[in-house]
Amino acid sequence: MESMREIRNRMISVRKTMKITNAMYLMASSEMKKARKRLAASEPYFFKLQSTINDILNHTHIQNIYFANGKTIPEEEIKRGYIVITSDRGLAGAYNHNVIKLCEERLRKNSLDKLYFIGQSGYNHFKRKPDLAEIEKEHNYAAVKPNLYRARSIAESVVDEYRRGNLNEIYVVYTKMKSALLAEAEMIKLLPMSADMFPGADLTSSEQSSEYEELYEPSPRAVLDNIVPNYVKGLIYGAMIEAYASEQNARMTAMDNATKNAGELVEKLSLLYNRIRQAAITTELAEVIGGANALEEQ
Amino acid sequence: MARTFRLELLATDRVFYNGPCELLVIPAIDGEYGVMAGHEPVVLALKAGELRYTIDGKTEEAAVGDGLVEVTGERVTVLTDFAERADEIDLIRAQAAKARAEERIKARKDAASVAHAQAALSRAIARIRVSSRVVNK
Repeated sequence: MESMREIRNRMISVRKTMKITNAMYLMASSEMKKARKRLAASEPYFFKLQSTINDILNHTHIQNIYFANGKTIPEEEIKRGYIVITSDRGLAGAYNHNVIKLCEERLRKNSLDKLYFIGQSGYNHFKRKPDLAEIEKEHNYAAVKPNLYRARSIAESVVDEYRRGNLNEIYVVYTKMKSALLAEAEMIKLLPMSADMFPGADLTSSEQSSEYEELYEPSPRAVLDNIVPNYVKGLIYGAMIEAYASEQNARMTAMDNATKNAGELVEKLSLLYNRIRQAAITTELAEVIGGANALEEQ
Repeated sequence: MARTFRLELLATDRVFYNGPCELLVIPAIDGEYGVMAGHEPVVLALKAGELRYTIDGKTEEAAVGDGLVEVTGERVTVLTDFAERADEIDLIRAQAAKARAEERIKARKDAASVAHAQAALSRAIARIRVSSRVVNK
């Protein structure tokens, strides 16, 4: 049986950890409130962007480097770029793990793929696996405080690589808030664009049926050269905001569970401690009584 | 009353306007582009500048960033980086941004930084114009 001192020390350390996890829970929940507000403010843009692009593509039948139709590249030669959005620090339950797992499943061991990171956790993970993919070091941002400026600089870089043919497909891997409580890792394709890109986007059904050919003014090329970088930036920005809210949500849940577990552990330990203490007192009493009896008999 | 169409103007951080509109004038890549009800379906690129929309004979102005515009038979969707009314614009900040951008263009470090500075400059000018017009009224 463990000694009383050992149990006492453990109880003290568990209580200290509990204070930390509880503080982190409170911090995450206040961050969460802010993140939710920003998410609610930018979600209309994010969803509308997807459905508008969907709508445009459904009515466009021209050839352009940004569209999926046209050239086909053999599967083993496709160069894919992934923008991986994780958190900067751990202690957020399975949040980072889910994103990394989803991304790793897609990587083939030929190093044709290139990874861009937002958030340190993803970078730290893939840094140790250099055979999986090339890591872009220039664009390696923190996940806190998502802003348009960061989204713009990553978007410019990936669109540039895409135009030069260094990347043939571009994806973003992030965590989406499915509902107020449920978040799920998701991968969306940014480029090349095709009409079936956003199956989740709500289509305005009345326009879906109407048949017309989309016009571009002044020319398809001039318009697309301008709107594609903007659309990529908008989607990356939206994904960053979704991911940040999911991160706070995951951390809040994880820390809440940790605090609850610590509470249960302290309860169990104090029960054990009391039992051992009681046993020690009983033994001592038995010894005293035994001693007294022995004296009387003499 | 003039015929109206539905205008949805969304910025990355909020829904700026969602409602009926008689006339919309947007800054496109090759100049201003006007849209009225019954316009043919078209896709346009939005450049940072001044946007105007008229409803009930009253014209509202806003400074907008880069973005895209889709015109369909019954509605117009404008998606942009930012959209600000005159009273929401921080004029001092915009002027500082303008000066900074001009300096960067003069420095001519490389093509990318000049392009960034030019984009920043047109955003600053759009804000300054919309903001100062109200002051002059």
